[in-house]
Amino acid sequence: MTQTTRLSAARSGAPPGGRVRESVSGRRPGTRRAVHVLGRFAVPALLAALFAAPLWFMVTGSLRPAGLPPPRTLEILPPEPTLAAYTRLPELMPLFTYLGNSALVVAIAVPVTVVVAGLTGFGIRLLSRTARRRVLVGLLVVLLVPVTAVWATRFEVFRLAGVVDTFIPLLAPALLAVSPFLILLYAWSFGGIPESQLQAARLEGASWLAIWRRLAMPQVRPATLAVAVLAFTFHWANFIDPLLYLHSGDRYTLPLGLQFLRLLNPTDWPLLMAGCVIATLPCAVVFLFAQRILLSDDPLAALRGGRR
Amino acid sequence: MTAPEVAPPDTPRRARSDRTLSGWAFLAPYGLAVAVLIALPALLNVGYAFTDHTGLTRDPQFIGLDNVQRLTSDTFFRDSVEASLFHVAVSVPLRLIAAVGLALLLAAPRPGGRWFRTAVYLPTVIPDVALAVLFLWVLNPLYGPLNQLLGLFGHSGFNWLADPSTARVGVVLMLLFPIGEGFIVVLAARRMLDGRLYEAAALEGCGPFGQLRRLTLPLLAPVLILLAVRDTILTLQVNFVPAYVLTDGRPANATLYLPVYIFDQAFEFSGFAYAALITIVLMVITATIIVAQLLAVRRWRILR
Repeated sequence: MTQTTRLSAARSGAPPGGRVRESVSGRRPGTRRAVHVLGRFAVPALLAALFAAPLWFMVTGSLRPAGLPPPRTLEILPPEPTLAAYTRLPELMPLFTYLGNSALVVAIAVPVTVVVAGLTGFGIRLLSRTARRRVLVGLLVVLLVPVTAVWATRFEVFRLAGVVDTFIPLLAPALLAVSPFLILLYAWSFGGIPESQLQAARLEGASWLAIWRRLAMPQVRPATLAVAVLAFTFHWANFIDPLLYLHSGDRYTLPLGLQFLRLLNPTDWPLLMAGCVIATLPCAVVFLFAQRILLSDDPLAALRGGRR
Repeated sequence: MTAPEVAPPDTPRRARSDRTLSGWAFLAPYGLAVAVLIALPALLNVGYAFTDHTGLTRDPQFIGLDNVQRLTSDTFFRDSVEASLFHVAVSVPLRLIAAVGLALLLAAPRPGGRWFRTAVYLPTVIPDVALAVLFLWVLNPLYGPLNQLLGLFGHSGFNWLADPSTARVGVVLMLLFPIGEGFIVVLAARRMLDGRLYEAAALEGCGPFGQLRRLTLPLLAPVLILLAVRDTILTLQVNFVPAYVLTDGRPANATLYLPVYIFDQAFEFSGFAYAALITIVLMVITATIIVAQLLAVRRWRILR
């Protein structure tokens, strides 16, 4: 097993550390192997389990029958697991209205986020070296502005524009590309496109917009996937903006609905956990698409589609 | 992150200026959004802070320093600042250690490595509200898994959210889980380090811990500083949702963090102008902490 480990590590461009570290530690082979397996698999597995634990408690909590007395010890699985909470949920709140509203917001906000982040990232690619550095510093400054600092007055701007209690203010984060982080992802990925390609296309008379759309964007599909997924998780989970701007119950998005459910049934735990599972599931599923890029052995290369 | 490496184009000046202009044109939509949705509201804050605006009417009157006077004698505000400072002091270092430690531990390729990383990232994809509701369950004194886990070790558990000190710990504990952004940034930054440096260090007889202390951490220092600063801001503001859902500022104002108080004033108590003033205070506090961090780091680097 150690052999295959080492082989696959070598094949994928072994990280500095792993291989070398072994050659210097002068312990006996048996102990070394045990330490090796412990460090490489047991400890990471333990930490991974720790981080997955809350999610596990969410799911098992939702499967608990309602009205059961408190458990005496830690329950890994509840006795007589049931899906009853999931059938009760739509009876107690307009779940499908909330889901529909959330889906509508996400369907508009995610493409807007991708376009804004993509345009901005490509703009950075076109600038000269000095100008690019200035823009990057500007992005870092934006990264450091707390959202709370503009809550109240941004609300005032939207109130004066007369769009409170519509979905329009929920698009504000999308117009800001959610976070400068996503713009930086695109800027990095566009940096992988050879200069010669851009210039050839330009010499053939293509406009920069056409180059962006037909040449650049198709080459950074992994980045687009990653940005779309991160944008999805943000917009789907967005709680603060709907809380501030949406007042009519029939426009609530799912996170607001969940808060509403909590106020309505503060102690019906299986029901609340079922609500949490439904709110989390789309984000988790969508993220599984992006993890092969964002969490791969070399995320920066994966973003550029394998090039460094 | 570093700038994409591109050689400056070897083209005539006209082509270059056309290209630069187009570059700025591509940046325009984002720049406009930043101006209208961030810069303008930030400036409006300063204007509104010295008025009696309630957020309900349309003709705010200038009232000079009345709001400042109110602020100095507001005990809720003092509680709020204390709660926020406690939270930042405890939460930021813990979150950083967790994100950096896990990223460095899980950066090396290994079979199934991606799945370990995915498990660590998973709590980050849980929507804020769902995470807060989940922690209402996890921290529940009777049913909650955490007290039952403590029970396995013979501890009788805590009445987490009903006691001021444990309520704060509860919020810190919950925010230790969504650390995905910093985790990914460190993973990526770690891959950019030159492998040859490590081979040289190993030949010099430098063990794993020496490599961590002498190579990895110093080389990652700029990224770590950026993460610390970013996390300070994030921590000062993102604890709104957990505190709002988990405790709503209770018990005894122990979790009345500044964003919660700002929200209450601006949107619940019609104290819009007063909220604008508190927002300015929050920004000043944030800036002070960041400057202190940068100064501390500078000293640390000189001492090395």
